[in-house]
Amino acid sequence: MTPSKTNEPRLASSVPASPSAQPEANPAKTDRKRILVVDDQVNITRLLKLNLEQTNLYLVRTENDARAALAAAKEFQPHLILLDVMMPGMDGGRLAAQFQASPELKSVPIIFLTATVTHDEVLQRGGLVGGLPFLAKPVNLAEVLRCLRQHLR
Amino acid sequence: MREMKRAGDPRRLGEAPLEAILDYSPAIIHLKDLQGRYLLINRRFEELFKVQRRQTLGKTAHDLFPLGTANALRNHDQQVLASQAPLEFEEVLPLDGQPHTYISVKFPLLDARGVPYATCGISTDITERKQAEQALKAAVDQLKASHEQLQAVQLQLIQAAKLESLGKLAATVAHEVKNPLQSILMGLDYLERNLPAANPQLPLVLTDMRNAVERANLIVRELMQLSAPTDFQMKDEDLNALVQRCLWLMNCEVIASQTTLVQNLAPDLPPVKLDWRKMEQVLINLFINALQAMSQGGVLTVTTRLARLENLLPLTGATFPQFSAQDPLVTLEVQDTGTGIAEADLPRIFDPFFTTKPPGVGTGLGLSVVKNIVDLHGGAIHIRNAPPQGALVTLILKARKDKHYDPKQNQ
Repeated sequence: MTPSKTNEPRLASSVPASPSAQPEANPAKTDRKRILVVDDQVNITRLLKLNLEQTNLYLVRTENDARAALAAAKEFQPHLILLDVMMPGMDGGRLAAQFQASPELKSVPIIFLTATVTHDEVLQRGGLVGGLPFLAKPVNLAEVLRCLRQHLR
Repeated sequence: MREMKRAGDPRRLGEAPLEAILDYSPAIIHLKDLQGRYLLINRRFEELFKVQRRQTLGKTAHDLFPLGTANALRNHDQQVLASQAPLEFEEVLPLDGQPHTYISVKFPLLDARGVPYATCGISTDITERKQAEQALKAAVDQLKASHEQLQAVQLQLIQAAKLESLGKLAATVAHEVKNPLQSILMGLDYLERNLPAANPQLPLVLTDMRNAVERANLIVRELMQLSAPTDFQMKDEDLNALVQRCLWLMNCEVIASQTTLVQNLAPDLPPVKLDWRKMEQVLINLFINALQAMSQGGVLTVTTRLARLENLLPLTGATFPQFSAQDPLVTLEVQDTGTGIAEADLPRIFDPFFTTKPPGVGTGLGLSVVKNIVDLHGGAIHIRNAPPQGALVTLILKARKDKHYDPKQNQ
């Protein structure tokens, strides 16, 4: 993959804004770790997907509608979920509770990616807020990758 | 009517009415010669000071009253003789062992040539009025103090309300701004790894954009710190240890700025209840400000000391209603030798987004955050220009009241 050839086509075709229209590869046919990104901000999920998939380590599904995230997760069977907190329709806390109540998702690690905490707060608490892993927005890719590696062990 | 007309005829009255006036007057009336000897006293004088007219005439005030009182009376008489005009005095005279206050009108009596030969005094007891005045003054003073206290509390409430609304605004702004920042940052990460090699300027542009994101994020973070000082962990701490820790953290900056550091830390400071991390933030902020004010190098002087409220007024020229005279206080002074702060800017120095630094250097929130943290510690912060040059920041905190603490001895 050469960047000059892939930039625009990838944005236009492989990362559509609407979650329902996402043409995902069959998760079972790849050894890349599957990451479900749930955030109501379309551009955030799109850019996260672009960046994470470019590492060739992850296969990313994005979901911008929190109410549809449970069904998406059951279908996608992620290894890890990156979850926003403040979303219309359903907040990240309630959604996390639904994931944990689901037998097929309860062991899937969840990392909250949110603007509701600060870098300092996360840093002071060793990356955990209320015992749960958090990333404070805005976070760069290196930090996201480090956190993913840590929680996918 | 006829009787009244007869009584009202001055030719028929003679000397009797004058004597009656003297004897029935509720005021004390007396006449003294130039040496202060009584020539005449009225009945009221006799009654009040329990003396006989016959034995009193020819005596002086020194024969009747204690020395201090007599000296004061003699002095007043001499003033009247010197001025040759009526004068009014407030005099304190003993009555049944109790001091009574009189308002005395004294005037000279002149002979045909206009030369004074005696002084006359008419004194009215105003003790009750005086006591009422003093009570009223005390009440007014108390009312004034209460009013000042009320104003201070009101200001604090207004400030708290401002901070509360600012806090709500900050939380909303933080969320709304951080999400676009996240997108930009992720976009930059992607672009950096997918840059066409042809244009060498592009990495620089991306670096500028990344710096801009970091700056915007810093502003949001500081704005949030203004509003969310909730989880304070207050413990008894050693302020000197905190100062030394922060100076150690700042060591590289101090060396890089070619600044000479002077520490005057008072030994045996009593512990101060504070949140170590928050107060560390305050001190580092103050030290950074001081270093930035001395871009060409200079002297940074850090002083801690014990203080009392009465010491702070001459030091700062400000009043601090949050402290009482009994509070043991510790102060931390951070003095630089920079250019100082324009006097017109001083009242706004703690306002959010107000900065005296060059564009891009400060967010204008640092001192607002500092003041907020200090306020929430029940402390105070004061900034002024200090001769010969530079700014002096005084941080004041309540110390723990030790059993053996005596601020008079520990200054």
